[in-house]
Order: sequence, then C-alpha cells, then structure tokens
Amino acid sequence: MNSVDSPLATKTRLVRLAKHNGIFIALLVLLTFMLLTKPQFGTAQNLSNILQQNAVIGVLACGMTFAIVIGGFDLSVGSTAALSTVVTATLFASGRAIALPLGLAGALVAGLLVGTVNGWLIAYVRVNPFVATLGTMTIVRGTVYVITNATPVFGVPINYTSFGLGKLFGIPNVTWIFALVGVLLGAVLHLTRFGHYVYTIGGNAHAAKVMGVDTRRVRFLTYLLVSCSAAIAGVLLVVQTASGQPAAATGYELTAIAAVIVGGATLGGGHGRMIGTIVGVLLLGVVTNGLNLFGVSPFWQPIATGLILILAVGLDRARSDAD
Amino acid sequence: MSANTGELRPPTPASASLPPILSVQGVDMRFGAVTALSNVSMYLSRGEITGLVGDNGAGKSTLVKLISGDLQPTEGSIAFEGKETTFASPAIARASGIETVYQDLALAGNMSVWANVFLGRERIRRPRVLNVLDKKAMIVETREMLERYQMNVPPIDEPVDGLSGGQRQIISIARAAAWGSKLILMDEPTAALGVAETKAVEGIIVSLKESGFSVMIISHNLEQVFRLTDAIWVLRRGRMIGKRRTDATSPNEIVGMITGAHEGAEARRS
Repeated sequence: MNSVDSPLATKTRLVRLAKHNGIFIALLVLLTFMLLTKPQFGTAQNLSNILQQNAVIGVLACGMTFAIVIGGFDLSVGSTAALSTVVTATLFASGRAIALPLGLAGALVAGLLVGTVNGWLIAYVRVNPFVATLGTMTIVRGTVYVITNATPVFGVPINYTSFGLGKLFGIPNVTWIFALVGVLLGAVLHLTRFGHYVYTIGGNAHAAKVMGVDTRRVRFLTYLLVSCSAAIAGVLLVVQTASGQPAAATGYELTAIAAVIVGGATLGGGHGRMIGTIVGVLLLGVVTNGLNLFGVSPFWQPIATGLILILAVGLDRARSDAD
Repeated sequence: MSANTGELRPPTPASASLPPILSVQGVDMRFGAVTALSNVSMYLSRGEITGLVGDNGAGKSTLVKLISGDLQPTEGSIAFEGKETTFASPAIARASGIETVYQDLALAGNMSVWANVFLGRERIRRPRVLNVLDKKAMIVETREMLERYQMNVPPIDEPVDGLSGGQRQIISIARAAAWGSKLILMDEPTAALGVAETKAVEGIIVSLKESGFSVMIISHNLEQVFRLTDAIWVLRRGRMIGKRRTDATSPNEIVGMITGAHEGAEARRS
C-alpha cells in the first residue's frame, strides 16, 4: 500500500530533481564564475543593469511559457509588443488627464486583438501555431509601420520614464513588474484548473477532449494570455525609452522562446515551469552581460544564445534518454 | 452533471428481471457513401458483462462511439435507462453515467495519476472563483479509489508515463468506475497487456460486475469473452448477426457467426 518509498518513486523523484534544478545550478556556476573573474560584475549598478535590460524579455517569456507548455508557441509576441508600444506611447503623449489609464487600456486592447486572432486561428480554425503566428507576426509588424509611417512616437512625458528607469529598494521598477507578472502567471499555470489543462493538453490533447475538457477554449485563452503579456512588455518599452519605436522588440520572440526552453520546457508541450523560465531569462541575460564585460563583440552574443539553447536541449535529451 | 460529480459509489446491484440498461434501436451509421452500421439493434442487460465481437471492420468501434457520444447515428435511436437519448458529446454521455475505457486509455502521460483520474472533474478549492485546484483532496480520493482495485497503488503524484501498461489500464478503469457511472464500455481492455496483468484486469472487470456495474467489452480474445461475459453480441459487416447467452453457446458457434459460416448452417436447418 505504501507508495512513498517504492524504488520507482525514488528514482523518478531524483531524475525530476536533477531535471528541475539543472538550470539553477547552471546559473549559480555562471554567477560564481563571473564574480570571481570580473569584479565589476558584482557591483550593484551592473546587477541592476542586467535586471533592467531583461525585464521586457522576461515578461514575454513568462507568457510564452503557456504557449510552449500547451504544445505550441507564439512568434507574434515581438510584433504585438511593438503594436502595444506605439499605441501606448501615442496615448501617453496625448497629454490628457486620463492619459495613463487610456494608454494602459490601449495596450490591453492591442493584446486582446492579436490574441483573439491567434487564438481563433489556432484553436478553432486549427491552423498550425507556427503558420498562424508567423502570419500575425508579419501582419502586425506591417500594421505598426503603416499606422506610424515607420516614425517613432515621441512626446511621452518625463514622469513615465522616471518610473520606467527608477528603482524601488535598489531593484528597477520594471523588474518588479516582471516579478509580479512571473508570480501571477506562475500561480495561474501551477495552481489553477486552467493551467492544469494547459499541461494536460500539452501532454495528450485527445485524452483531455474525450474526458470533457473544452480544449479549444483553453487553447484560445492561452494565446490570448500570451498576447496580453506581450502588451505589458510593450508598456515596459514605452516607460524605459519615453517613445514608441515601430521596430521595437524585433526578434524578441526567439529570445523569449530560447529562455523558456533553456528553463526546462520542451517544444512538444506538457513540460516546463514558470520558475525555470525566469531563471532561463536571467541566465541568458547574465551571459550577454558577461560577454560585454569581457569585451566580446556584440556580434557574438546571438551565437552564445544559440549555443546555450542547443546545449540545454541536448542535455535534456541526454537525460531523458538515460531514463 | 452536478448530480454525479461528487459520488464515488457504484450503483446498487440489480436483478436480472429489470429492463435493459441500454438499448439500440435500428441504428444506421453512414460516413458519406460508406455504411458502417446498418439497422443495428441490440440491448445490454443491467448488471451483466456483455461481449461485443466481430471481425476487423465489422463496426464494433463505431457502435461503441455511438453509445459513448463520440458519434451520432444517421438513423435510429439509443435508449439509456429507458429514456431515448442522443448524446451530443462524450461529456454528456459521461454525465448521464456512461463511461468509456478507450483502447489508447486516454491518459496524459506527462500528468500525475491523480490528475488523470480527475481529468475533466477536478476538485476546486474555495473560493471557487479563483479556480484553484484542491490537489490534496484529489490525491486522497485517488488513493482510496485505486486501493479498491489493486494491492500496490502506484505513486499518486508521479506522471503515469513511468507506470506499467497494467497499472495504466487499472487507472483508466478506476476512472471509469468512479463518479457514479452505471455503464462502462471497454474497448480491448487487455490487448496490450501481459499474462499476469491481463489476469489482474479481468479480476477487476468481474469485481465491477459484482459491485453492480453494467459492462460492455469489445475483445478479439474469444477465450476471454467466454471467461468474462454473460451474453455475447456478434457484428458482421455492419449488421448485428445476433445474441447468445454465453452459457448456452460455444466458441465454434460464435466463430461461425463472426465469419458468416453459420448462415449456411441456418439455411440448411430451415
């Protein structure tokens, strides 16, 4: 009757422990190495810079985790963030008394709009997520160029950037937002029935369906949620740059996907944790920062990200083959 | 739906004189130009294990899908507990008390045992608006549920991917037997299992009958059908050939009905 001490349970528990903590160990090793070799790495200013620079990717990656766990992904998040950025910047710059809520509402509408299209295409029309979000990625980016005439939106009042570049208890405000999004979405993914269904559908969508789960609805809401977090990332871009750049967040979708995969999720779906994603974001951020500190050309940075991604997936595969 | 979500008790055993728990009347099932079932009528007696046999392509799986709500008949009707019904979806059939153990078991391998047992019927903590799972309650209930069927309960909080085929089959059956269900359909319940595991699963199927469930089994294994069932229905090429009481027939006669060899015999007799 006792299931706690069976050898199978102990073994899988150990395997899971190693699997779940490999990313933490990697980050710890990297941090130790950096602290020992580069004294300026450990300064409050540098650490705060890393956090500030990775908040946008962090928010995108937290949302992306849902898309990857359900067995898809979303290539349109960079474009959605750009749409949200120019809409929010325009409304913030409008100078009205209600510019702040108006701008945030604008971001939300942008996120809901793209998310509805993605969710409807993927969940109800059953378009492959790659095709659907590649399409919306291109269309939304094009739309952003059309509505802005490819010109950045300026005129965002200075008090927005004093928030966006400010700190609370020595930690950048935008990092607090990232942390808030991470905790909130982590709770949704790990504690709620919706998150539970995201994992189940990622594991076996057919089983979920015959057992009465409305898989289309869950899929639809997942892509809605991903786009809404991209909209939040767009607001973070505005408050950090005081402008709405039509070309903002280009290529961020791939970095976000890389962070999620490095954090332990699998592209097939059904696996991954929010804390893994957050650590994955930090790991990639620390590597980029380290390369800067060592004076490596920025051209090498995407190469480093790619190598880490392949290494992480390779180690994961080696581990699951060893089971 | 709400009436049978909280109860894990099986229905009370019933006597044989009761009307059938399920009857199928003149059902046709066509997929475009293809006729999968043609004027099929049958019934399942309450509290019995009924076998459904037939060659590949005879329409067994189609008939199961019609009863479980996966498909809707082109013609004809299905009555469950005396009430005529068309189940628009498996969820509606489940809510009425018909559970299916699918051949592929319909388990999510990445999910824990409790998550699979409670799939689609998760317990939610108060306040319910937060939609937070009551994992502890589900683990406790899953353990109680599985202890009824097997001595070595697998680790409840581990993914089912790590379990043996027999353990997975038992989880799928235990899930079907929970929730106040009355009729359990099983599609090839032991096809993928070894000898010892088959024996264990057959024991569970018999115990389901003893606790008052009505069971329908699709199986290719005639020995097994004769070991387990009270009655046998035979399908051939989309037509119901007939029904025999298991204790009043022989494997030879059933094989004859499956292959069509008995038709010649009956023609000679008349």
